[in-house]
Amino acid sequence: MTAPVLDIRGLSISYGTEAGALKALRDVDLEVGEGSIIGIVGESGCGKSTLISAIIRLLAPNAQIVQGAVNFKGRDLLGLSSEQMRALRGDEISMVFQDPMTSLNPTLTIGRQMSDVQHRSTVSRSEKNACSVMMLERVGIPDPEAQLKRYPHHLSGGMRQRVAIAMALMAEPSLLIADEPTTALDATLEVQIIHRLKELQREFGCSILFISHHLGVIAELCEEVIVMYAGEVVESGPLREVFIDPKHPYTRKLLECDPARIAEPTRELPVIEGSLPNLVNLPDGCIFKDRCSKAEARCGIEPPKMSGDGHRAACHLLDHFQETSP
Amino acid sequence: MSALLSVNDLRVRYPVRGGFVDVVHGVSLDIKRGETTAIVGESGSGKTTLAMALCGLAPVYGGEVRFEGELLQRDRKNRLNPDRKRVALMFQDPVGSLNPRMTVRKALAEPFRIHKVESADPDREALGLLDKVGLGEDFADRYPHQLSGGQARRVGVARALALRPHLLIADEPTAGLDVSVQGEVLNLLSQLQQEMGLGILVITHNLNIVRHVADRMAIMYLGRFIEQGDSQQIFSQPRHPYTAALLAANPSPDPDAQPGEIELKGDVPSLLQRPPGCEFHTRCPGVREKCRGLFPEVSIDGEHRQYHCFYPLDN
Repeated sequence: MTAPVLDIRGLSISYGTEAGALKALRDVDLEVGEGSIIGIVGESGCGKSTLISAIIRLLAPNAQIVQGAVNFKGRDLLGLSSEQMRALRGDEISMVFQDPMTSLNPTLTIGRQMSDVQHRSTVSRSEKNACSVMMLERVGIPDPEAQLKRYPHHLSGGMRQRVAIAMALMAEPSLLIADEPTTALDATLEVQIIHRLKELQREFGCSILFISHHLGVIAELCEEVIVMYAGEVVESGPLREVFIDPKHPYTRKLLECDPARIAEPTRELPVIEGSLPNLVNLPDGCIFKDRCSKAEARCGIEPPKMSGDGHRAACHLLDHFQETSP
Repeated sequence: MSALLSVNDLRVRYPVRGGFVDVVHGVSLDIKRGETTAIVGESGSGKTTLAMALCGLAPVYGGEVRFEGELLQRDRKNRLNPDRKRVALMFQDPVGSLNPRMTVRKALAEPFRIHKVESADPDREALGLLDKVGLGEDFADRYPHQLSGGQARRVGVARALALRPHLLIADEPTAGLDVSVQGEVLNLLSQLQQEMGLGILVITHNLNIVRHVADRMAIMYLGRFIEQGDSQQIFSQPRHPYTAALLAANPSPDPDAQPGEIELKGDVPSLLQRPPGCEFHTRCPGVREKCRGLFPEVSIDGEHRQYHCFYPLDN
């Protein structure tokens, strides 16, 4: 495999709070290969947003990078000046956000916003418009010329999200970060957007980092998946392996809780007992032990490290699980 | 048994420049006690407006609503005025729907003060409610920003149920919640429903939860119910092509699942320009000539199964 587009090593980020440092991200490794689609799954508070904010360097002012490196095509993003970083954003790394209504400017036409994102290009306005029309066509928007004169509120949710994707792909980025881009849409449009993203990824050859808590969407789109819990990566690997044979107890529980995987209708849905640990005063040992039904004495003492080849998980009981499963 | 809530041909119309837009376009529906009805449909299909109209928060343009047999009158602004003690509403955004300057205790005691329920000691009631939704007493003095999404949602449930309503209208009760917490909230609602015989109207676009919690469901498209009926029946045998596409499009978390998707062309039409004939014909995979010119009136199939389609699906 060629060198990864994005390579994150041992990234730890804390937020300064009144109660002390909140350790939002701890020792996170992540690799995004060229042309691959990686999904990040995890529930609120798992550090997904902190992770992407760190990649695009838009962290909150009270965030502190404790350690680690974020390498993007061989450059350490954490060492770049804000000017250098600004030159990358929207050009080599672009984002699609959750809610297209708030990520588009309601007071400007689609055409104006689409030519604004081409601010680096020196071509004439009419050429920029032609580029916009071409991009809108590629994301499957009917009658693209007419759309340029319209405002975001004229478009439906699905159209707006496609406009946002068109804008993100305008500069042919090497890395597209999509943060829950389909949460606001209904199932038919969700599927449309996912298929479109897959197609565009093939055409443009960019890599996609796709964040979602919808396991179905991740299964449909991604080749590899990373599962995060309370600021740590607890499991990673090829999607099929992780979803069919999850190794970490958290991943297992998460998959069990998904109502889509429960065939028989039930009024008693499974839940994960307990709550997230306090990230200011971290518990000793494994971060998931308080909610894990299989926890043993050593889980309370020593934090487990990621182990395995390809399909990796951070759990002391991995060998145990492997021995017991046929 | 007569229906708890009976809606007949309800319409909500808003004026826009050069005309009007029908956001809810002739919706009929019955909800029984102890039953959960789900309304599904994409954003902009009119689900939330319908809920608002039923609670008296949006003006009604036409139609009739009966609650426990009683015809609801409209006020000067054309809003319905259901007895808000008996009809409770849970809003979409759990934190946003709580007053940031009120403690949980105060927020839970408020309904008793507003409705002048004299017998009750609001403070004790508040603690009792907290217990009911599985939150300890130590939550009573927290402010909304000190709650997680799931906890705020529980407070929302507690407040909605404070006055022991007969009907609960829950607008996206699990939107933005993680799957594990989503299960907690839905289990809580089911459990309280059994205890109190509550009728629940759930508005959602999450089909996975509908399959588990709803007895009946209605599918909304451009402000109309294009299909409604028993939810198990609809899941196993959709009659309207939009329902079929919606069900087939639901992405499965099983990596080996064979996607049986029915690709829908194009986009949802604008409410300002409703297509002539069947309003779904612009995207329907099985469209025929008749669909372009004529509106399919409601067809009734078996007990309570209704749909608007000239060429319903068989299997």
